[in-house]
Amino acid sequence: MTDSYVKAVNSGFTKTLAKKLGLPRPAVLRRFRAGDPLTVGPVLVLGGTPGVADDADRVADALLGWDLDVRQNADDSTRWGAIVVVLTEIARPEDASPTVLALAANLRRLAPNGRVVTISRAPADGDDPALAAAREGVDGFLRSVAKELRYGATGNGVQLVTSRDEVPVDAVSSLAALRFFLSARSAFVDGQVLRVGSPVADVGVAGAYWDRPLEGKVAVVTGAARGIGAQVARTLARDGARVVVVDVPAAGEQLTTVANEIGGTALQLDVTADDAGARILEHARARHGGLDVLIHNAGILRDKLLANMTADRWDAVIAVNLAAQVRISEHLLGASGFSAEPRIVSLASTSGIAGNRGQSNYAFSKAGVIGHTRAFAARLADLGGTANAVAPGFIETEMTASIPFVTREVARRVASLQQGGRPVDVAEAIAFLASPAATGVNGQVLRVCGQNLVGR
Amino acid sequence: MRVETLPAVPGLGGLYGKGLAASGRLMMTRRLPGGGASDLALPDVAYRVAGVATGDDAAPGAVGSAAHLARYAQVVGEAPSEHLPAGYLHVLGFPLATALMVRGDFPLSLLGMVHLANAVSLVRPVRLGDTLEVRAWAQDLRPHRKGVQVDLVTEISVERTDDERAAGVGLPATTFAYRGVSTYLAKGTRLPDDSAGRTPEAHRDTGRDAQTFQPPLPTARWSLDGGTGRAYAAVSGDRNPIHTSALGAKAFGFPRAIAHGMYTAARALAESGAGRGETYDWTVSFAKPALLPSTVDVAIRPAADASARGRQDVEQVEAPVPDGAGDPRTGLTYVAWDRAGRPHLSGRVAPRP
Amino acid sequence: MATRNPPVPTAGAPAPTSGAPRDAYVIGGNRIPFARAGGKYSRASNQEMFTAALEGLVARYGLQGERLGEVVGGAVLKHARDFNLVRESVLGSSLSAQTPAYDLQQACATGLEAAIAVSNKIRLGQVESGVAGGSDTVSDAPIAVSEGLRRALLEASHAKTFGARVKAFGSVRPSDLAPLTPSTDEPRTGLSMGEHQAITTARWGITREAQDALALASHEHLAAAWDAGFFDDLVTPHRGLVRDQNLRADSSLEKLARLKPVYGKRLGGSPDDSGHRDGPEPTMTAGNSTPLTDGASTVLLGSREWASERNLPLLARVVDAETAAVDYVHGHEGLLMAPAHAVPRLLARNGLMLGDLDFYEIHEAFASTVLTTLAAWEDDEYCRTELGLDGRLGSIDRGRLNVTGSSLAAGHPFAATGGRIVATAAKLVARKAAETGGTTRALISVCAAGGLGVAMILESVHSTDATA
Repeated sequence: MTDSYVKAVNSGFTKTLAKKLGLPRPAVLRRFRAGDPLTVGPVLVLGGTPGVADDADRVADALLGWDLDVRQNADDSTRWGAIVVVLTEIARPEDASPTVLALAANLRRLAPNGRVVTISRAPADGDDPALAAAREGVDGFLRSVAKELRYGATGNGVQLVTSRDEVPVDAVSSLAALRFFLSARSAFVDGQVLRVGSPVADVGVAGAYWDRPLEGKVAVVTGAARGIGAQVARTLARDGARVVVVDVPAAGEQLTTVANEIGGTALQLDVTADDAGARILEHARARHGGLDVLIHNAGILRDKLLANMTADRWDAVIAVNLAAQVRISEHLLGASGFSAEPRIVSLASTSGIAGNRGQSNYAFSKAGVIGHTRAFAARLADLGGTANAVAPGFIETEMTASIPFVTREVARRVASLQQGGRPVDVAEAIAFLASPAATGVNGQVLRVCGQNLVGR
Repeated sequence: MRVETLPAVPGLGGLYGKGLAASGRLMMTRRLPGGGASDLALPDVAYRVAGVATGDDAAPGAVGSAAHLARYAQVVGEAPSEHLPAGYLHVLGFPLATALMVRGDFPLSLLGMVHLANAVSLVRPVRLGDTLEVRAWAQDLRPHRKGVQVDLVTEISVERTDDERAAGVGLPATTFAYRGVSTYLAKGTRLPDDSAGRTPEAHRDTGRDAQTFQPPLPTARWSLDGGTGRAYAAVSGDRNPIHTSALGAKAFGFPRAIAHGMYTAARALAESGAGRGETYDWTVSFAKPALLPSTVDVAIRPAADASARGRQDVEQVEAPVPDGAGDPRTGLTYVAWDRAGRPHLSGRVAPRP
Repeated sequence: MATRNPPVPTAGAPAPTSGAPRDAYVIGGNRIPFARAGGKYSRASNQEMFTAALEGLVARYGLQGERLGEVVGGAVLKHARDFNLVRESVLGSSLSAQTPAYDLQQACATGLEAAIAVSNKIRLGQVESGVAGGSDTVSDAPIAVSEGLRRALLEASHAKTFGARVKAFGSVRPSDLAPLTPSTDEPRTGLSMGEHQAITTARWGITREAQDALALASHEHLAAAWDAGFFDDLVTPHRGLVRDQNLRADSSLEKLARLKPVYGKRLGGSPDDSGHRDGPEPTMTAGNSTPLTDGASTVLLGSREWASERNLPLLARVVDAETAAVDYVHGHEGLLMAPAHAVPRLLARNGLMLGDLDFYEIHEAFASTVLTTLAAWEDDEYCRTELGLDGRLGSIDRGRLNVTGSSLAAGHPFAATGGRIVATAAKLVARKAAETGGTTRALISVCAAGGLGVAMILESVHSTDATA
């Protein structure tokens, strides 16, 4: 499961050798550890106009509130932990130039595992063409910058969506997304532009919120016995949630281990059962007083070229990965007891976005997840909740360990980060989307892929 | 009957040697046509040994010592106790009875003698630490269909302690505790007037029992391993090769070693449990010997219960009850048989009132 | 024997409130699937299995770090090193290390007796919660040394000099070196449990066909329950075993009828050369007898307050329990007939009739154990003379007997069976009460070696009170 190549090229003799040979040298990614600083160094906030109270100042103020070393003026010596590029106020394509060039001047001094985060506004219907051009441009710019970053540094964008009102740059969800991208929690999220709308619920982030954002919440994770699901359960528990771990009865032994590790409760259940939604809700209500967060993680692979596809392989994948999610979500939305701010996060996949040979059934199911996520998002918004999906790329799990060596190596190195992610990377993204402060992120698909080549 | 006092209970090892010699001598005399008939009279003597120590006063590890009793109890399955069970008292008195049978004037050959039955009454408990007086004599020489049978009687009394004597002036020096009657068959030998041998009672015969015997439902099963004979020989002193080696058994026509009859009887006594009380009567009659190793089915049932059970498919066989046994409606009856349903032994254990 | 006249309440009337200060409830249970001897758990120890069962229970009810009142259980076949089996298991679990524990052993009734012990302490207010259970492995059974070698080893360990140590081994014979494997024979009779039951079976004239039919029903019921997901919240897989390994979902009367008898073949002597035999025909086969099995089970019990504070469900109230013993040593009664005695005493004390129960969980040590027990309750003379009743205890509705299968299909890891049955019965009454809204009761009976038998009555909790 571990990528020994990453270890080898970053230590001792093999590191020297790899350097001499010019081998790709993927970095050891910095991941979240309680107590570590949010960023690896000072944060440079670029954009806006000096002397004018603008969005860049609002962002800088917010960052100061997080006890960060925040600068708005570059110097020649600082190694930046992160550079936040505020482009919310550009109105024409030409407007981006000073900010972009300021970034260019500081990029070489971005520390390993540093962060570049753009904050911009999404184009909207009826936009002035110049405005739309400028705003759309940021998207392509960010994705390209991300590909140029090295040593574990990532580039991601927060794209504020205007629906009824313009979302303030320092709205709770805008800042939550910014904080996620700045932090080590987003280690394997790279080259992504996340759309953030108006908060659908009133969320306070006072006190110890950022340490335990899910405090008091009850979360259900399906497929939680192993791999990504188990890690999601651990991460949600770390963030303060009481977690119900669900998996098929046959996986009960591992499920028990996970439940006992995180102090959760185990529910042995086949998600394809007709009454799965009812039993999940019943368990969460009876034992924990309600249900706030549902993570649709359970999934199976039955790979086969379509020409060789059999009914049982197709049907099983669709039933577990897609139909069960729809049925359970429908049940929860129709029943009382789902929380006042319900959150659903579903596991999609880059295969569902870009397609994958031999995975027509899997890709159907995962693309389908994206479809129902968008559909449920609207219904959940009415309830003050959200529905989002996470699309993992190549993640080092028991499942991917079985992929043939060469295929596995290619899959790892084609990403900007030149390695596979870990289950915890997916879990962090899910935990972020499930967190109260992410209330303005709805109907989104967040890729956790190290900026893999495939798809968008 | 003349009482001859011996200084100590003789050792069985020496007695067997003597018995072999005596048997040889008897065989020589029997060869004479018609000869020996007038010799068939029992010696008119009783052996007596007094001051037989048990418990701490016995020689360490010897018969009567706590360690020896514990070994015996383990072999036959008796619960460990300070009490000397009747089977153990039999072991204790056996050498004295044997000493009688190897006397030059004893009319029957020890070699090949068959133990037919045993009847014991324990009328007061004997405990470790008691000092015992043992007497043994032979009596009641009588005909049997296959030869001559004789009873060897062993009586054990407990000597009163000095304190007891001091407290009760005029009391006898001992109190009677145990009487055991062992009935042996000398095959082939005939009494001069064998008319009595034709009575039905004397013809009671194991072969006929076997034909009429219907095994009841068992209550227990004994797995007798190949070392059973050697284990009992070690605690009883009865090292007759017929019990300890296949070779010895073959000399007497058995395919393998056979279990000591008294071992099986002692085990039945042990398994009769605590209900037998401190004093009891215990009888056994032996049929077919149990080969070693073998598995023996056993039924040990309350005497009143044994035939009264309405749902039993097979009737309980009444064990023959020789003298000494109490009320036939009390206590337990036992019977043991082999896999073909042929009986090995049967008897009773009844608490004394 | 005193004759009792049990009160005759109308069927379905609520049982009188017991005199106990308060009630104990079954909250839930967890076991691992039972494996055939030498099967999936052939390398698993009792401690491993009991810990696994405990961990599954902790996970299901979120008891991590919880200091329970006590954990009580045991094993029938137990290593000397396992003297504190249950406490060691607790220490290896996610429960608070401050949870006390003790071992208890009552042969096959160990688990049920443990449940009684825990529930009684709850009723007395001495503890608020507890776990009862048991574990047994035939595959990892202790092996003892012979008496001769044991004596020599003890003497050698007590010897003060090297010479004395060497001398201690002088008495060891080659045959003493052979290991002693544990035996399930009754110590006082030397008869295996199967042979004992064969005698009882013959006495009651239970037919082969009736036994095979009961065995088939056990497999069918257990298979159906598994398929319906009944065990989803009662069992946690272990070592890759997901279902009870002994379960034969494809069993049939024809297959069962083909099996050769294994017990009672010597009753009345072996057949003679012409094949004639005097004794009863042997009827007990490997198919209608319980196989040797490995496994472990647990049951969570607690007071209403304790459960309610933790949002835990109340599946059933422990109404009462009774343990009986019979004199089997000298054949007066069958070895496994004690439940026939325990149940009428238990019913009488609680003012219930045999027919008042909605579920009967009668442990299937052998198919014929169940059938002889039922036959005994239907026998007028037996009930009068042996049980001291005025007449027959009655018959039960076979449709309510072992409705989700029992030991013939699931297997019977001795000490684990009680916990399996209590959890199953509690779930059954809770489920039926939820469906019908009425009071539902289950009778549990487990026979055990040594002529022991334990019975318990569980009763549903009023639906509005079932969860806090």
